[in-house]
Amino acid sequence: MMALIALSCLTAGVACGLWLFSPGASAWLTGHSQGMLWVLMFLVGLSVGMGKDVLRRVGRYRLRVLLLPAAITGASVAAGFLCAPLTGLGLAESVCVTSGMGWYSLCGIMLTDLAGAKAGTVAFLANLLRELLSFVVIPWIAARLNHYTAIAPAGATSEDTTLAILIRCTREDVVVLAVVNGVLCSAAVPFLIRFFYTVLG
Amino acid sequence: METMLIMCAGVLVGATVFPARLKVWNSRLQVAMTALLIFTMGVGLGSRPGFLAELGEMGLDSLLFAAVPILLSVAAVYPLSRRFLEKREGEEEDSP
Repeated sequence: MMALIALSCLTAGVACGLWLFSPGASAWLTGHSQGMLWVLMFLVGLSVGMGKDVLRRVGRYRLRVLLLPAAITGASVAAGFLCAPLTGLGLAESVCVTSGMGWYSLCGIMLTDLAGAKAGTVAFLANLLRELLSFVVIPWIAARLNHYTAIAPAGATSEDTTLAILIRCTREDVVVLAVVNGVLCSAAVPFLIRFFYTVLG
Repeated sequence: METMLIMCAGVLVGATVFPARLKVWNSRLQVAMTALLIFTMGVGLGSRPGFLAELGEMGLDSLLFAAVPILLSVAAVYPLSRRFLEKREGEEEDSP
């Protein structure tokens, strides 16, 4: 159900951006998205605070909170090595693209600067598609596998855009883990891109 | 970082002064904000110049670059979460 809502909202938004809204109206709306996210985060915080058990459960994770970002980062980097021969993109560019972990704006800009327009465009689109696919697969993964695994597709976006859907599909304590995962993955993205472009390039 | 600070502020308010009777409205508002955020993201994409053309030209490679990391991330996280997160969770709930 949530995947359907997400897809409908996304499709309606793309259609409005393409054909209905003026550039000014689109810019105004997207310019306020950070504020919307903050409101949502405050509301999530209220839920966490009201459920006294949630904070106790989060406290019990201790160092295990690092497990998810470490696994997601490792898997995303490994995917770059796997994709290079399949797509024909250079190894360094390929690993840099998947190291974006869904942060399409930063990854697209960095790859454009480092490797040129083609790699930058692939980086932008690939990470954008990762985010879009996450909207579709997160509800399924949360229902069929487990709530922790639902964070995996989101990568670095689990602290912002995909957090919205994680909130609807998982528990409050998992949402806190998702925010921690997103912060750590996001912090790693610029370092990973520079590192792999230097080492493999 | 701001996101975490704002969530912490929400946690503080939720744990101290927020009335429990408004819990349902808080949940409804979360759904509405979620929908609005996703819609806004779509607007941002649709208004990007040349978005459809870019998607058509490099869409297939990009799809691969999106799908493979998702698959590998899920494959890496699922067994680890079963072993270290779900199992511990069960053990802790069982303990007095």
